[in-house]
Amino acid sequence: MILSSSPSACSPAMQQREEKQLEAATESLISRVAHVKNALHSFIYKLENEYERLTWPSVLDNFALLSGQLNTINKLLKNEKTPSFRNQVIIPLLLSPDRDEDLAKLTEQRVPVFSHEIVPDYLRTKPDPEVEEQEKQLSVESARIGPEVAQKQIQALNKLCSNLLEKLNNPRDDRDSESASMRQNKPSFNPADTNALVGAVAFGKGLSKCRPPGPVAPGHPGQGPMMGGGPTLQQVTIGGGSGQQSAMGGPGAPQQQGQPGKMPSSIKTNIKSASGSMHPYNR
Amino acid sequence: MEAPPVTVMPVTGGTINMMEYLLQGSVLDQALESLLHRLRGLCDNMEPETFTDHELVYLLKGQQGNPFILRARRSLSHPKSPWHLRYLGQPEVGDKSRHALVRNCVDVAASHSLPEFLNEMGFRMDHEFVANGHIFRKGAMKVVVSKLSRILVPGNTENTERLSLSYLVELSVSAPAGQDTVSEDMRSFAEQLKPLVHLEKIDPSKQRH
Repeated sequence: MILSSSPSACSPAMQQREEKQLEAATESLISRVAHVKNALHSFIYKLENEYERLTWPSVLDNFALLSGQLNTINKLLKNEKTPSFRNQVIIPLLLSPDRDEDLAKLTEQRVPVFSHEIVPDYLRTKPDPEVEEQEKQLSVESARIGPEVAQKQIQALNKLCSNLLEKLNNPRDDRDSESASMRQNKPSFNPADTNALVGAVAFGKGLSKCRPPGPVAPGHPGQGPMMGGGPTLQQVTIGGGSGQQSAMGGPGAPQQQGQPGKMPSSIKTNIKSASGSMHPYNR
Repeated sequence: MEAPPVTVMPVTGGTINMMEYLLQGSVLDQALESLLHRLRGLCDNMEPETFTDHELVYLLKGQQGNPFILRARRSLSHPKSPWHLRYLGQPEVGDKSRHALVRNCVDVAASHSLPEFLNEMGFRMDHEFVANGHIFRKGAMKVVVSKLSRILVPGNTENTERLSLSYLVELSVSAPAGQDTVSEDMRSFAEQLKPLVHLEKIDPSKQRH
């Protein structure tokens, strides 16, 4: 088939230049389309074979890649250096029902025969019949509603688009402060509790056998007078060797007496710490 | 005769010196469900595991210095399992940039005569508590969400009272000394739990009154 450009009043030199441009443009167009084809090929492969492992972000990546490639094709076509392809007409010179090996190799076995069947599809310039039908309906519709209504619709659409763009383009700080304030209404952890729990696990803060004099939940059945086996972590006794009143007695008392008469308030006894001089093996 | 000096040096010799890397935080009761949901999604896929443990902390007071602390733990939900004895050293004061609390850790299993044995050795029980909650695992990392309860009558684990209205969340890894990539992994995992829980390195010595 030959490519014939519409006759235009131009000198042979210009024609030659145009031809060169056309060739160059066609070459780059072919390479870009090949890229798109490869991207589609790998995407389809992924969808068919690896669909279990496919994640939504990677699907989006593939779509973004295709969209970028289509964009570059568009840019190429809009380029000033590109001659208008519309002016070119493709005329098939020879159709044969025989298999053409070269063509088959060129098209990767997709078009083995250049025959009457494939020409209407591959060399089509008008849109598909269904698409043509839809386009006709749309133009009838637009003629029907009249120019003022159409203008109003255009304005409404423009306004919606600009609103949306504004919302999307606004600095993220606005949105972040909103969501942060919403989150603050429902805190999910309490740092004071964290410290209390860590203290309890690390060295028994709040867990000592003799109830500590803290803001502990009152009203639970108290323990009897506690005589700890030795100085505990919470009360640091000053060196062994001197019997002293354990600090347990004091703080325990006020709380115990608050209880509704559950246990004898005999806490105020002298409790000697069992260290130091009481040790049987001390020298 | 004098009691032998009690040191707090890391126990060495015989086995690899294991360190425990730890990050802690807490979560309020009402946010517990969402935290468990998130952990179920983030962690390895296994049956959700709950546990009920009774931990006793034993002290050995030496002549001087800090007391030697051992932690004995037994499972209340599996009464026949062996006891678990653990020693935790002082947190390593490394560079401040390390993201997790690192301390020497020795874990052994013990028979059911452990409390009497420790008493005979001279240890005295300092405090005990009951912890129950959930445990999750992600690779080498272990996440434990537990509710701590105080034991009201010593030795009676039925009668307990909650310590606070929050659950303690701990992220820990047990690894040989010197692997600093561990704390990086822990930190990135902790990021994924924000803002539900803030897991951070809490120095226990700073918590003392």
